[in-house]
Amino acid sequence: MNGRRILLGALVVLLPVCATTGQEAGGRKAKIVVDGSTTVGPIAKAFAEFMMDRDQGVKITVAESGSGNGAKSLINGSCDVAAMSRFMKPEEFKAAVDKGVLPVAHAVAMDGLAVIVHPANPVKALTTAQIADIYTGGVSNWKDLGGPDVKIVIVSRDTNSGTYEAFEELVLRKRKMCEGVEYVGSSGAVRQRVQTTLGAIGYAGLGFVDRTVKALEVDGIAPDRDSVASGRYPVARPLFMFTNGYPKLGSALHSFVTLHLTKKGQEIIEAIGFVPMTDYR
Amino acid sequence: MTRSTRKLLDKSFSSLGVFSILFMAGSLVVILAPIVVRGAGAVAFRATAEHRRMMLEQFGAGDRAEVEAETAAVLAERKPLFDMLAGFRIEMKSMPFKRKREFEGKLAELEGRIRELFGPLPGEPRPVLPRMRYGQTRWDRAKVKLEAVLFTETYDCSDPTKMGVLVRKPRAEEFEGTFVAALFPHLEAHAGEMLRPRFTIYWRFFTDVSRDAHFFGGIWPELLGTFYLTIGAIAFAVPVGVLSAVYFAEYAGQSIVNAVLRMLINTLAGVPSVVFGLFGLAFFINAVHLSESKSVLAGSLTLALLVLPTIIRASEEAIRAVPQTYKEAALSLGAGKGRAVATVILPAALPGILTGVIISMGRAAGETAPIIFTAAVSVGDPLGILETLSQPTPALSWNVYNLSTEHQKLDELRHVQYGMVLALVAVVLILNMAAIILRARISRKLKG
Repeated sequence: MNGRRILLGALVVLLPVCATTGQEAGGRKAKIVVDGSTTVGPIAKAFAEFMMDRDQGVKITVAESGSGNGAKSLINGSCDVAAMSRFMKPEEFKAAVDKGVLPVAHAVAMDGLAVIVHPANPVKALTTAQIADIYTGGVSNWKDLGGPDVKIVIVSRDTNSGTYEAFEELVLRKRKMCEGVEYVGSSGAVRQRVQTTLGAIGYAGLGFVDRTVKALEVDGIAPDRDSVASGRYPVARPLFMFTNGYPKLGSALHSFVTLHLTKKGQEIIEAIGFVPMTDYR
Repeated sequence: MTRSTRKLLDKSFSSLGVFSILFMAGSLVVILAPIVVRGAGAVAFRATAEHRRMMLEQFGAGDRAEVEAETAAVLAERKPLFDMLAGFRIEMKSMPFKRKREFEGKLAELEGRIRELFGPLPGEPRPVLPRMRYGQTRWDRAKVKLEAVLFTETYDCSDPTKMGVLVRKPRAEEFEGTFVAALFPHLEAHAGEMLRPRFTIYWRFFTDVSRDAHFFGGIWPELLGTFYLTIGAIAFAVPVGVLSAVYFAEYAGQSIVNAVLRMLINTLAGVPSVVFGLFGLAFFINAVHLSESKSVLAGSLTLALLVLPTIIRASEEAIRAVPQTYKEAALSLGAGKGRAVATVILPAALPGILTGVIISMGRAAGETAPIIFTAAVSVGDPLGILETLSQPTPALSWNVYNLSTEHQKLDELRHVQYGMVLALVAVVLILNMAAIILRARISRKLKG
């Protein structure tokens, strides 16, 4: 029968595919599943590849679905590490403890929330009060801030984002964002929107700022390694990885969440654009 | 109506048909041409010496002796450049303090740009991230970085009441009259020899794993992930879908329950795919604990639910389209109802059922929302067949989204993104072709 022959052919094609990839399947591979923040994502991805390269037999997957989803995953037991760009909220802690999960925070790096505009924008500095005014709708034109007569296009992260919550806490101080704010799903998308829109303003972690956008001075301080590490830059925060309990010493998981304490780990963090926790050099 | 008006109407109708066919063909070209052209750029491009060095060190590909000889040769070509930088550093020492301070920033900027083009400067420690160990591996990207070395682009914001104007100046102007000024014309004239671009077809793009979050390497884990998810979804959805279709077409009466069931299935077809994704997360992972984390299994089942209505509808229509006489003939020969369905009606309906499967496969391969919460990750190794039961996987649709919006360096990785899109289209096309050929053979057999 023709149909059967084709089916057989398909199987013959499929089997080697399965066989070649199946070989590595056996054995006792340590498996780490990371989920969470898109801001911490680059660190988690680089750590994962560094560890898989160094310790043969460790398998790490990294998903970037937002800090909130990372926390939910950890609470539901569907990930080992929740990468979060904010601390866990009380209600998340409560939900976790109710399910028998005890979240332990590992602060892996520091990050300044750079307030970014198009490089053509002559405005160089804003105060936190002015930024809050922009996002709450009090100011809607750059000319009110000493700039050109151009309407401000306000770009923000979505509400599931830890970056959003950090910004809300540090800049807006519990005030509500106004109606006209554009919400986008990732820090990369914020940068994309700002680099292509003359009147745009947005915010993103330091690692996402490159030459295509301009980071403003906030309260007279430019965001860089020194100002973030010393706490002078007002919109700064630590980045976290949460685990369920403190990982077993000597386990692959332990070595993953303590990688940021090693010289190589700190070097990775700095190379990616974030600020290492200590002055390691 | 007179004959002439009828003719006119006829003609305008057929020209409308021709127009819509042309329109469809045109839009296909507009959509597919860039996908193919830009996607091909991920595989066929002018690779520099840095690409060959990276392939040797990261993937063990290429001839070691040859690549090492080439690396030595290009380093020799670049040496005058680095000598000029070193000479300038000595020259700076004798400068007055203020002038020296001024140049320090400019030199750091210049060195940064040169690092982006050629990788770490001589004598610098080996960077820990692979992306920083190599210069530009593609000649098209190298040309962009070369421009950035040769020219400065700043915005003139002297008038605060207007948006700044882009000013592009040769960087050489900044260093006029110094030792390093000769660097720029030298670099411009010899960039080709320093990178040795050569046209390369990088077939291994489809079979290599990615290195350093898609900076280097290929898309094998994504390709395999999409393949698993699609085949998995079809494997779950087809048996269930066809059986329900048989029930609806052959066994279900006109009762209210059946009418409601049918309506529910039709409604299911209209539910947005992200709702399926959230359902998959809540049900398969959080409630049933099908797997500890997200997994290909959970993703396949979610996708199966998504395509189920399409398969049920298509199969039911196909079964109903089988002439009643087939069934009557089977029954008159003494076959039971079940036997008639299995041996006569289903084979006759198979081409129609396969049409539904073909449409569903394309949908399952391309959907992103249902797998975000149930199966997809941005970085992961290719999975073995048993690991699909418990582990998440990268998949083309999700990683295209990730690379186009979330990735930290998305502007530098456009070629990978287009390569993934091309691969996704190709996977769907290949799966469809296989199903179409199968369908054609079956219908030919049914006729003959």
